[in-house]
Order: sequence, then structure tokens, then C-alpha cells
Amino acid sequence: MYNFVGRSFPRHDGFAKASGLAEFTFDIEVPGMLYGRILKSPYAFARVGRIDTSSAEALGAVALTPDDVPDKLFNPRLLSVEEDTYKDWRVLAKVPRYVGEPIAAVAAPTEDTAQRALEALRVEFEEIYDPILDPFKATSPTARPIHERILRGGRWVEVRNNIAAELRYSEGYLETEEERSSVVVERKFHVPRRYHTQLEPKGAVCKLEPDGTLVVWTTTQTIHNTKILISQVYGIPMNRIDVRKVPLGGGFGSSIHTNLVTLIAVGLCLKSRKPVKLVLTREEDMVHDHVSFEFYMRVRAGATKDGSITFGELENVIDVGAHQVQAYPILGTSLGWFISLYKWRAVRYYGRSVYTNKVPSCAIRGYGAPEITWAVETVVDELAEELKIDPLEFRLANYRGKGEIFWGQGPTVKSVIRSDGVPELMARGSELIGWKRRESPKVKTGRFRRGIGVGRGFHTSGAGGPLSGAIIDYTGAIVKVNEDGSVDYITALQDHGGGTLDAHAKIIAEELKIPPSRVRIVWSGTSTTVYDVCTHASRGVFAGGEAARRAALEVKKKVLEYASRILDAVSPEALRIEYDRELDDAAIFVEGAPDKRITLSEVARTAWQRNWGSISASVSYRATVAPPSFTVYFVEVEVDTETGVVRPIKVVAGADVGTVISPELAAGQIHGGFAIGWSWAVGDEVSYLENGVPAHRMSLADYKLPTSMDLPSDDDFVVVFASTYEPYGPFGAKGLGEAASNPVIAAVANAIYNAIGVRLYEIPMTPERILRAIKGGD
Amino acid sequence: MLSINAFNTYRIPQQLKYFKPGNLQEALEILESVEGAKVIAGGTDLVVDLKYRRVEARALVDISRLSELRFIKLGDGYVEIGSAATIREIAESGVVKEKLPLLAEAAESLGSWQIRNLATVGGNLCTASPAADTAPPLLAYDAELELVSSRGVRIVPLGKFFTGPKKTVIERAEILRSVRVPLTPRTYGWCFIKLRRTSFDIAKVSVAVLLRVEGGFVADVRIALGSVAPTPVRARSAEKLAIGLKFEDAVRVASERVAGDISPIDDARSTAWYRLQTSKVLVKDAMWRAYERFLGAGAWR
Amino acid sequence: MEMRIRFRLNGVVTEVDIEPHETLLNVLRDKLKVKSVKYGCGIGECGSCTVLLDGDPVVSCLVMAAKVDGSEVATPDYIAQTELGKAIVDSMLEEGAVQCGYCIPGFLVTIYAALARGIRDVDEMRKAMVGNICRCTGYVNIVRAVKKTLKRIGSQTPRNAVERPFR
Ligand SMILES: Cc1cc2nc3c(=O)[nH]c(=O)nc-3n(C[C@H](O)[C@H](O)[C@H](O)COP(=O)(O)OP(=O)(O)OC[C@H]3O[C@@H](n4cnc5c(N)ncnc54)[C@H](O)[C@@H]3O)c2cc1C
Repeated sequence: MYNFVGRSFPRHDGFAKASGLAEFTFDIEVPGMLYGRILKSPYAFARVGRIDTSSAEALGAVALTPDDVPDKLFNPRLLSVEEDTYKDWRVLAKVPRYVGEPIAAVAAPTEDTAQRALEALRVEFEEIYDPILDPFKATSPTARPIHERILRGGRWVEVRNNIAAELRYSEGYLETEEERSSVVVERKFHVPRRYHTQLEPKGAVCKLEPDGTLVVWTTTQTIHNTKILISQVYGIPMNRIDVRKVPLGGGFGSSIHTNLVTLIAVGLCLKSRKPVKLVLTREEDMVHDHVSFEFYMRVRAGATKDGSITFGELENVIDVGAHQVQAYPILGTSLGWFISLYKWRAVRYYGRSVYTNKVPSCAIRGYGAPEITWAVETVVDELAEELKIDPLEFRLANYRGKGEIFWGQGPTVKSVIRSDGVPELMARGSELIGWKRRESPKVKTGRFRRGIGVGRGFHTSGAGGPLSGAIIDYTGAIVKVNEDGSVDYITALQDHGGGTLDAHAKIIAEELKIPPSRVRIVWSGTSTTVYDVCTHASRGVFAGGEAARRAALEVKKKVLEYASRILDAVSPEALRIEYDRELDDAAIFVEGAPDKRITLSEVARTAWQRNWGSISASVSYRATVAPPSFTVYFVEVEVDTETGVVRPIKVVAGADVGTVISPELAAGQIHGGFAIGWSWAVGDEVSYLENGVPAHRMSLADYKLPTSMDLPSDDDFVVVFASTYEPYGPFGAKGLGEAASNPVIAAVANAIYNAIGVRLYEIPMTPERILRAIKGGD
Repeated sequence: MLSINAFNTYRIPQQLKYFKPGNLQEALEILESVEGAKVIAGGTDLVVDLKYRRVEARALVDISRLSELRFIKLGDGYVEIGSAATIREIAESGVVKEKLPLLAEAAESLGSWQIRNLATVGGNLCTASPAADTAPPLLAYDAELELVSSRGVRIVPLGKFFTGPKKTVIERAEILRSVRVPLTPRTYGWCFIKLRRTSFDIAKVSVAVLLRVEGGFVADVRIALGSVAPTPVRARSAEKLAIGLKFEDAVRVASERVAGDISPIDDARSTAWYRLQTSKVLVKDAMWRAYERFLGAGAWR
Repeated sequence: MEMRIRFRLNGVVTEVDIEPHETLLNVLRDKLKVKSVKYGCGIGECGSCTVLLDGDPVVSCLVMAAKVDGSEVATPDYIAQTELGKAIVDSMLEEGAVQCGYCIPGFLVTIYAALARGIRDVDEMRKAMVGNICRCTGYVNIVRAVKKTLKRIGSQTPRNAVERPFR
């Protein structure tokens, strides 16, 4: 039905990336640039006195201290509307609140000099406080305030008991529903902090143009918000800042906001008036920059004898660390994921984000959904088991599907579900995994035990909606036909690896009926693109793709208009357009008149030669819905009951993403989604020593990621796509990136339970924890 | 403010001299005369330590390309391995695979291919990590080390080489020349098992077993473990109790009694509790696998 | 305190002044501007900086630059242009093995070296790759690309264009 959508094409940047020729931020060099290094606080909570920079300067370095940067509070993330933006960060801290918080920085002509200058900085600490690391102790009235007052938008607010943000919500009559319930399950869950481990450490390169314009290359998922933040902090007009798009070596949420390293690099550049490159080393990136949120959840839910869910209650305490990135919004999305999972007849929610003296946390792939989904899918499994109902049937009877309201990104982003592949995915997945052979753990014997588990979840496609709400979400695209009929596609939207922009190129090609290879994806900057909020929330294909399609549509209109002039048709409506395989071009023609046929390239050439003007369009687009992409994972594992080691045996991953634009890249998202989910389930964890220094896992030597031998081989990994069509998506497509990982922990956890008959309520489910569970405590 | 601001994993944050001696003698002289000089072989431990400032050095003496140190030789009744032989060379060596299969198996499990191409057996032993993968097999084989300095040569049994975590009897200006492994006159079954967090990791626990069974009774068993004590250790008391027992009983006894030979601690990779639990399991598993191999080898001969 | 080293880089004899404390990674990237060799961790854990040293894959972050004097070094950008390298890259693109692209040059080097050594078994190939960490793909499409390359090259053992040690 489509010419290009749904077919595989090599991605446009594939060769550049595979050969290493693609230039990432770390690879960029500007003549005459200085190299920066950051002085990180060795204390988790202290007050800085004098900073002696003289020895560093004697080495030829430029030093940047808190007094050299504007004393302005900000939030590095600009996705929420101003009045919901909590600001408690400074570029350099006089009161460092976590180990690693930047206090000062240096820049020097060589990296070695920069390192020596860094070590030559002398900092006096006026006071060193005992760090507060436990989010429950932090809220005690006697605990030292980590922040006394912060800005919410432009308003000062007092911080009480180190509570960064709170959200309460209730719906329906919980007590009544509880009375109606024949089973109630209540469990507590713990999710530790995890590190994104994007393979490229964060960094920035800046330079000043002769006219004073600041050019910035940096690891970010949003160039426009980076521009705005630099403008807000340093008071530079936005048209004097050009943040350039650079390939991003993985995101996973680590660069949804603008990283501190960018602002520090700008500070060094402005002070030295020289180009500056500031890139983090891996240990700085992982230990001292930021990690994901830590969750303490309590879930209570009930169901009636006949298997209908009654109520759900979630208490959600999140340790956000020393500063807010999304401390408030994550409370809303957590609620959104929770509420949208099942048809609770009554809901009660209490969410609380708490400050501690730990590295600030920010979103990681799924933005709370993997964690909430794990907790809920565990409780739902337990309810089904108590009711002696098949867990698949129980889910199918109770999940929120077609026609229901979906909350996606929280209370201000609601829309009606119009495409839903869950029943299909449940049916095909259970068949492929062999659900029927699944036995109760009680009958399993022997050392090596296998178990099958299911996890169902979803993610939103973007954060759009019919009302403006608390989240900014719109995008833009420029499509321009050159004078030879080739096409430039210009967008601010980032691709962090999923192939988002290739999907856009395909969408444009599909609309214009030209081969995707004819559409060039232009590397551009904030000066040459229109606003895009950020590549996050799995919105790249859904929102960005639709913007691209609309721009292509406008272009097509112009092409047809010019063609009708050339072909002497009565009007553009009289024309048809199709992909001409032989000419490898779009052909525009009048049906039944073989001589009335012209290619798009000829139209472009003619428009140029006859002075008709450029064929181009610039659109800005806001999606009015944020439809869920559903995913259903079936996972089989094997547990060695003597060592607690778990091994993946088989994965059947079902995804409802509407129309699949790029099959192999979409499958790649699912493989990667499983991989990250698997490592959250069984491996990833950042923990802290008493002085606030991250314990043990100080480097990739101890923060181990699964290797090619630890994940299922390609023969044991089956991907199934549902045959759905999303009416609001470009050619029926929805998002995928996060849906791909959201139910993974849940499915793995349920599989482990099915193998050994004991449930764990804390991740990662390390061999040690599993062994202890099997041995019954100790 | 050393500590976190002094680390740099992109560039070594220390100024160094670099020497590439042409022979062992020259290497020893440099080591003797240059202050703060350290031997570097593959660099897979040392370079990491320099970046993290766990080791401060002024100069590096590169011995990795000295042919005097880079060999694997089958002698009369022994195999001798030069200290600069890489782990990959050892894992792939025909001599090692045939005569010291336990060492080959351990070498194969060390690090990644990229690491094995650099890492040397000398570096592995001299770093003296309790988790060093070549140590348990070499302990089981009763290997001896030849240490040289400008003052002469001394032979140290591997069992006496390690004195604590990261500590050995080696002196500053001494170089480990080679590892000599006496060959046992008879066939042994063998097995090396390494428990780790991922397939590319240092051991949480490792166990090396050499086993001879005669008429269903254990004639000899040698059990060595890594990562469960301040140094790699032989489980002498478990061995002693197991020898002479029927194989199945020997497995049970050795697996129970190994607890007395080890003193595991908590660290980044594991806890003492888990190490203790799994040491027992690994000893059992390794003995069984060694037995199977012993029978296989016996049947073949 | 500079010193001069001479080695063959991607087939070309190269002389360069280095600092003795520099690693091969530093010299390749910062002195010789070979940016295809990526820094990911600096401690040998991620494999993003993998290069061939006398034909064998090594992590260039742990190799002292001074050591490679007299050696042969090959980097991903060069390997991608060889016949076998092209076959691997084409397979990677067809199978969707490339996502963010930061780790993938390292994979290219390892896969190249393994195939050039005559490894044909897929599990052996997976084992050979444990020193290359990828956070995006779960390795599935990378393994598929390996399989496809195996099909492409059939029974022939491609010449390792960079195996000859150089002294
Ligand atoms: C990513 C990674 C993974 C690893 N995985 C493992 C693993 O799985 N198992 C394992 O056991 N180890 C592992 N290691 C550690 C390391 O690779 C090994 O210990 C290796 O064998 C060290 O050898 P080398 O030649 O690289 O030593 P180097 O780093 O060159 O030297 C190590 C130390 O030994 C000294 N030294 C070296 N040779 C001599 C000599 N001949 N005489 C006197 N002193 C000498 C040096 O001065 C230095 O103090 C890993 C390391 C890394 C970086």
C-alpha cells in the first residue's frame, strides 16, 4: 500500500557511524580552543569560602568561580510551563549539595595543563555538614534543610522538611470499592538509582563568532531548550546563540534537560573569549553528573471474585537527590502511568519527591513507567493467582484499552485511546512463548528451574493533548525542494539513535512519492530551524513525523500547482502523483493523457528557470493527542537455585506501534528496550556510602552492563507487531522507544517468580537476593 | 584536594618517563637506577591504576616486547611460561591446552578478547588481586616463580608469593621472569569455574580443581579458589579430607569443608555471605566436571 | 618531555611526537585526529576505543602510545574501507545494527578481526564481542549483521589487511 513506509532502507547516517567518521561532541575541535575541567565538590554538603585561583592562573589557565557566573537560579529542564518549573540550580555552587557538584572550572590550552590547573585550585570550605542520604530521614523536622527556598517560576517558595514536591490525587470511592473486593494485595517495592550509561560521555564545545554569536555543540536531546536556558542564565538574546545539532551517543533520558557541563563551558568561553571544549570523563559522567530516580512504592489493589479490578492505591516516595530536574513532573507521570494501566474504579495516590545530598536524578527511559509497571504488574499477577484466574485473562478483562481515557503524561495530558493491539499481542505472544505449558512454581523441582512471565505496559506518544496543559510539546519542520528536485529536510528534532529522522525522511518521501534517498537530513542549529521541544516521551516519530508529513504536504501542494501550470491542467486537483520506479522520481500526470506527465525534478527546475520561486514549507505542529503504544512481553528465564543466577531463555516482545515505519529499526528499539529492562531487573544499581560518595560502583568496572553473551541470542528473541493504525499518527504510526522497555522488569520479575515460587520486591534481582529469597531470608 | 578531582580516565594525570629496554638486563638496570620506575607489561592493571591515582609512578619500564620474557616452552617434566606471555597466547597455546588445560580454561575466561591480547600472566600474578584468574589454576599446579634482579635469581613457590591483597614478596627492582609448572606424571581431570556478574567480569568467586580418581576413590584432588580470601588460596583442609574418600563423598565433604579454607569479604562484586554459599556450590560443580573429564580422558587413553 | 614514535597507521608509516604518559587513544584522537576511535570509559570496559594492534583487537585506552613504536595499528575508519570491512558495514546497515553509533566502530574492529581469524561460529563470534558494550541494541541486530556477513563471505577467509607486524 505504501511505497516506502514499512520497508527497510539503510539509515542515512549508518556508514558515518559504523566507520566512526560521524563526529560526536567529543570529537569536535575548534582551532585555538581551550580544554576545560570541572572542580567537583568532594563533600556531599558544604559551604565554600575562598577559592584561590592564583596557582591555576599561573599555569596559564582561565579559572571560573561562582562569582564569575550570574547568580541565577534555574532548572536545566524547560519542558514544563514556567509556573511549574522549580528552580534550585546554579551554574557553580557556593553550597555544594552532592559529591561532585561543580564548584569551579578551569580552561587551558592543553588537557594536561587543564588537569594540573584543576588540581592547583585551592578551595576553603567554611562548613562541612553531615550529608542527608536517606529520603525518610530527610523529611524529619530536625533534618537540616538542603534548600531553604527555591523558585517556582518567578515566585519564591519555602522548602519544608526537604520535600521537593508533592502530589495527591483521588478518584471514586476507595473504601466502598475495597469493601466490594474479595482479594486485596498490598506490597512495597524499591527501585534504586540507576545510571543511564549512554555510551558517549556528556560534553560541550563553544565558540564566539566575530559578531559575538555564541555557537554551541553539545550532547542534548533538545537544542532549542538549550538555547533558551543559556539565554536565561547568561542574558544573551536568543538570536545570538546557535546551538548546533550533533549526533548523540545515546540518550536514555540523560540529556532531556541541558546538562550543567554545557552551561559551564559557556561560562568558560565567555570569560576567556576563546573557544572551549569541556567534556566529562566517564567517571565524572557516571558518578558526579546525574542518575535516575530512586523509587519507594507501596501499592494496594483489590479485585472481586469474578475478576474485576476494584481499586488501586499508590504511595510513591522518590529520592530526587540534591536538585530538581523533574521532581514535580515525575509525580504526575507516575500517577498517569498508574491510572492508565487498569480500569480502577477508585484510585488514591500520594506522591512525594524528597531532596537528599546525592547526585541529582532525572528521567531514564520510560520516565517512571517501567518502575510503576513492575509494581502494578506484580500486584496484578498476585491478584490473579489468588483468584485462580489466568493472568492473561485477568489483564484482558481489566486493562484500559480502546475508547478509554489515557493519561499518558499526567493529569493535564488526557486523550481517548483509538488504537489498541493488546488482545492481538496477548494472543500471538502467548502462543509463541507456549503459555499453555506454563506450570505453577509449586510443581517445579531440580536445581535449574524455568519460569514464564508476562508484563503488559505502554508508553505515551509524546505529551501533546487537546488543552495546553503543564507541558510544552510542539515541534516544527522545514522541507525545501532544491532546484534539481532533491529535498532538504531541516528539523531541530534530535535522533538519539532510534532512526527517528530516517523515519521522517521516509514519511516525506512517501508523501512526495520520491525515494527516501532523495531526502537529505540536514544537520542544523537553532538559528536555522523552528522550535522543537525535545526528543523525549517517544514523540519523535509520532509528533516529529507528523510535522514532517505536513510540511511535505504543503510542498506537494506547491509542486502540484506548478505542475498544473506546466501541464496546462485546469487545476492542481486534476493531477495525480505517483512514484515512478523507472525514473526513480515522483511523476505528476493527468490520468488518461500520456503526454501530460512530468517529474517532480522537472517541476523544480522549471519553477527555478521561470522565476516562480522556491518550493518550500515551514510548519509548526502541536499534536492534540498522545496515544499509548502498547507492549506485551513474554519472557522465559532459568534460575540456578543454588547460585541464584538467572539466565534469559526466550523473549517474545509484542508491540502495538500502529503502522511500522522502519521494521528493522523498530525491532532494534525493542531489542534495546529489553536489554535495558533486563539490566534494570537483574543488574543495575548505584548505591552510596555514608559520606555521600557513590559506593563501589564507581566505574564501568563495577557498573556492569550485559554483554552479547548475557542477553538472548537473536534466535531466542521474537518481535511481534500488532496490525493497528493510529488515526492521529503519520501514516498511522505511534511512538515506541519507551514502550519497548516499560513492561520488561515486570515480565522478568513474574518469570522469576514462576520459576522459584518466591517474589522479590526489590530490584535489581541479583543472584544474591534471589539466593537469599530461595533460602528464606537469613 | 586529590581524590575525585585528581582522576582522569581520558588522559593519565601523571607525568611519566617511558623506557623500552632492549633486554632483561637493561630493564633491571633501569628499574634499579630510576626513581619511581615501575614495570609495565600489558598495562591493563597499571594504566587503570595510574588514571585513578591508585599508583603514583615517575617512569614506566616496558617489558612487554622482550623476547626473553615472551615464550611458552615445554621442558622435561615442566612447562615454562615467560611472564610477558599474553593471556591470549596462553589460552591458545597448544602446549598449555594439552599439558595445562586448567590454566587454558582460566585464561580463556579472563577479561575480553581486547584485554587478553594485552594482559600478561606476569601482570596478573604481580598485581596480586585475590581475583586473578590465572592464580587458582597455577596454585593447583604447584607452580613456581622465577624472580630476577640485578642481584640474582630466586625461585618462589606461588603459594608463598602472595602476601595479601595487592601484596607479594616481589621487591621493587625485581622482575618476574617466568612461571614454571611441574608436570604431573599422571592424568588429571580439571575444571575452572568462575562466577561473575556478566560474561565480561572479574570473578566473584572462582574455583580451580585438579582431580584423580582411582577405583571410585579420590587419589588426589587439588582445589584452589579466587576472590574469597586476601589472596588466591588452596583449600588444603578440604583437599586433605577429600582424598581417599569415595568420589561422591569426597565432593560432599570438600564442598562443606571449603568454608574453613576461605575468608570472604564484602566488596563491589559480592558479599561474604554469597561468596561462602557459592564457593560450596562451585567446588561441587568443579569436582563433578573434573571427574567427567577425567573419565573422558581415561577412556580415551 | 616529548618522544617520537614511528608506526604504521592504516597502512601509512606515521611518525609523531608524543608525551610518554599518553595512551594510544590520546595520540590517535588528539595528535593524529583519528576520531573514529571513541572514548567511552578509559579503563578497558566498554570497547568503544578498540583498534587493531598488529592485527589483534585491543582497547587503545590502556595501550601506552610509546609501546606501539614499530607496530601496525588500524582504526575503524580504515577498516570500514577494506573489502571485509565493507561487507560488515553493509550487513550492519541492512540489519539495523547501528543505533546511536558510538560503540559501533569498536564492534566493527572486533568483528573484522574475528572474521579475519577465520572464526565462523556465531557463538564464538558472540564470545569474541563481550568486550564491546552496547546500550542501544541488545546486540540482536549486531549478531544478525555478523550472520549476514558470514553468508556474504561464504567459505573464504578474507585477508586481514592489517596483520603484518611492522618493525
Ligand atoms: C577491563 C578489564 C577486565 C579485566 N578482567 C580480568 C579478569 O577477568 N580476570 C583477571 O584476573 N584480571 C582481569 N583484569 C586485570 C588484568 O587484565 C590482569 O590482571 C592482567 O593479567 C594484568 O596483566 P598486565 O600485563 O596487563 O599487567 P600490567 O598492568 O602491565 O602490570 C600489572 C602490575 O604488575 C606489575 N608487573 C607486570 N609484569 C611484571 C613482571 N614481569 N615483573 C614484575 N612486575 C610486573 C606491574 O608493575 C604492575 O604493578 C581485567 C582488567 C581490565 C582492564
